[in-house]
Amino acid sequence: MSDLRRVLKVARRIRNDRLSNIRLKVMLPILLLFLPGLAWGFSDPNIVLPGGHQPDTAMEVLFYASLGVVFGATMCAVLMAFDGVSKDRASGMLEIQLAQPMPRTHQAAALIIGHAQAILLPVYALLLLTVVVVNHRMDAWPSLTEMLVYAVSTGLIVLWYTLFALLASTTAREQGTAIAFGVGVWFFFTFLWALVTSMVAYASGVAVGEANDPAWVALEGMLDLLSPNGVYHHLLETQLPTVDRGVAAWQLWLAALAWTALPWWALHRRMERLVP
Amino acid sequence: MRGVRLRMAMADPLLVFTGVEHRHRLPAPKPWKPWATRPGAGVHGVNISLYAGCVLGLIGPNGAGKTTLLRMMAGVLPLQGGTVTGHVKPNTPGEVVDLRTWAGHMPEQVRWQGRTTVSQTLHQLNEMRGQNSQRLDQLLALVGLHDRADEPLDNLSQGMRQRLSIAAALLGSPRVLLLDEPFNGLDPVAAEAFAGLVRRLAGKGVSVVISSHMVTQLEGLIDRIALMHRGQLLDEGPLGEVERRLELEGRYQLQGKGDLSSAKVLEELGNDVLSWEQDDETWSVVLRGDHHTALKNSLDSGLDVTSWAPVRPNLVEWLCAATGMSFDDISLEVSSSAMLPLQALEVSEDE
Repeated sequence: MSDLRRVLKVARRIRNDRLSNIRLKVMLPILLLFLPGLAWGFSDPNIVLPGGHQPDTAMEVLFYASLGVVFGATMCAVLMAFDGVSKDRASGMLEIQLAQPMPRTHQAAALIIGHAQAILLPVYALLLLTVVVVNHRMDAWPSLTEMLVYAVSTGLIVLWYTLFALLASTTAREQGTAIAFGVGVWFFFTFLWALVTSMVAYASGVAVGEANDPAWVALEGMLDLLSPNGVYHHLLETQLPTVDRGVAAWQLWLAALAWTALPWWALHRRMERLVP
Repeated sequence: MRGVRLRMAMADPLLVFTGVEHRHRLPAPKPWKPWATRPGAGVHGVNISLYAGCVLGLIGPNGAGKTTLLRMMAGVLPLQGGTVTGHVKPNTPGEVVDLRTWAGHMPEQVRWQGRTTVSQTLHQLNEMRGQNSQRLDQLLALVGLHDRADEPLDNLSQGMRQRLSIAAALLGSPRVLLLDEPFNGLDPVAAEAFAGLVRRLAGKGVSVVISSHMVTQLEGLIDRIALMHRGQLLDEGPLGEVERRLELEGRYQLQGKGDLSSAKVLEELGNDVLSWEQDDETWSVVLRGDHHTALKNSLDSGLDVTSWAPVRPNLVEWLCAATGMSFDDISLEVSSSAMLPLQALEVSEDE
């Protein structure tokens, strides 16, 4: 059996185990409200957003509905993966798994893929439903490129939060600490990042929140590269021709690569040193 | 059966651990480096050989380093020092790269739980080994779980969970089987069945290492004994040989009715009496040396002897003999720290 096949088999087992978990059944209604529900609302022909803006393309609606991914799917990723290692450590299963002649880096890869798949399968299914809802309401489909970018970006942000939660799970000795770390990271990037941005802008002498001030837009755009949520929105904005926040494509993809590679590498390193 | 296994054990060792070492890292946070750690307890300077078909008892009190050594042998903990050589091919010793391909490991406590069935669980672990599951039925039959293959883990009794643990350790037909306190939580019937299974595996040429802090549980099961204390190996070898070396062999217990304190037999036996107890109507003497003379003297003195049997030393006696420390010192040490190395290590403790 090749190494890749073995990794995928173990990942499939983890995915199936997580998909049958009652936790996912609890989260599904929340995701349903956040993803197709938000798309339904934003595709209302009479909706007027703050600033008098009205979304008039399918991709624009999907962009606004991505709030559901940021609030719902990422939280689900944290809640699905926070005990990915700590539960097995508490039950003694981790010691048995580490005693198997499968390289620990491969075990880490299987953990990441399995957990990410477990949350992405329902999320992608709901995104398809979202697109159908948008079409139903606006009689317009997003282009294939827009769909592809939306799917890849969503896959990446879910993967990043899965990695954060698994990292917490390998580090924390008990599950409470792991979930506290995971939720803390989620809370920081989802709610507190705006505060960080404002403080940096204030310290730099840039007028905070002035949407028409190019200095504020550029600063916010650059600082967003340091947040997974910000990178996610940057990626989606590549499909919105009216939005330009002064971030070059190479900077954006470099940030996306860093947010993927660094936690992945850190998790591999943690697994190599993991003591049952 | 034991003789057969001992003859098998006379061959070259399967695995040789030379000067192996692992010290756990303990958190030692500092204001400027909150993640700092320092070396703590562990195992150091252990030389031990594992033989095919031989059952080795790894004996020591809590905190002696038994579990750490077993985890090192299983490839779960890395070796921070020392080497492992093994007969990679027949009669060709070579350095062992991955111990996990040699050893099957049964940890001390595994809480098998969930709706997954026994066979599914083993199938999943087999996938991690990259092997097909054609022989799982045979494995389940070997450990006596054939009838429970489709049982969810939640429904298993403690004894069955232990059997599942040993089945998991036997995946991939390991040449070395490492069992960490396998008798914990087993009733006498299950323990006897478990011992029988270990004997069968050893008869098939598997090298078995059993850790325990209860010497009596391993009586009649182990061929060799390794005494561990404070992360070090105090003595190791065939059971009788180690007993002779530590002058613990040839102990007998006489029990009887009546009043022993008034009998002259104790004076006659002198230094051979290791301990004696007197209850209201019964007495018990543990002695060493020429037991025929002792028995004769007892009967000649008119003592009412009800039983006469050889006895094995307990863990504390083993440790006292191996370390030269008194019973009180050993007891205090085991109950207090037992975590500091006996030898002075050239490692900075406050690193």
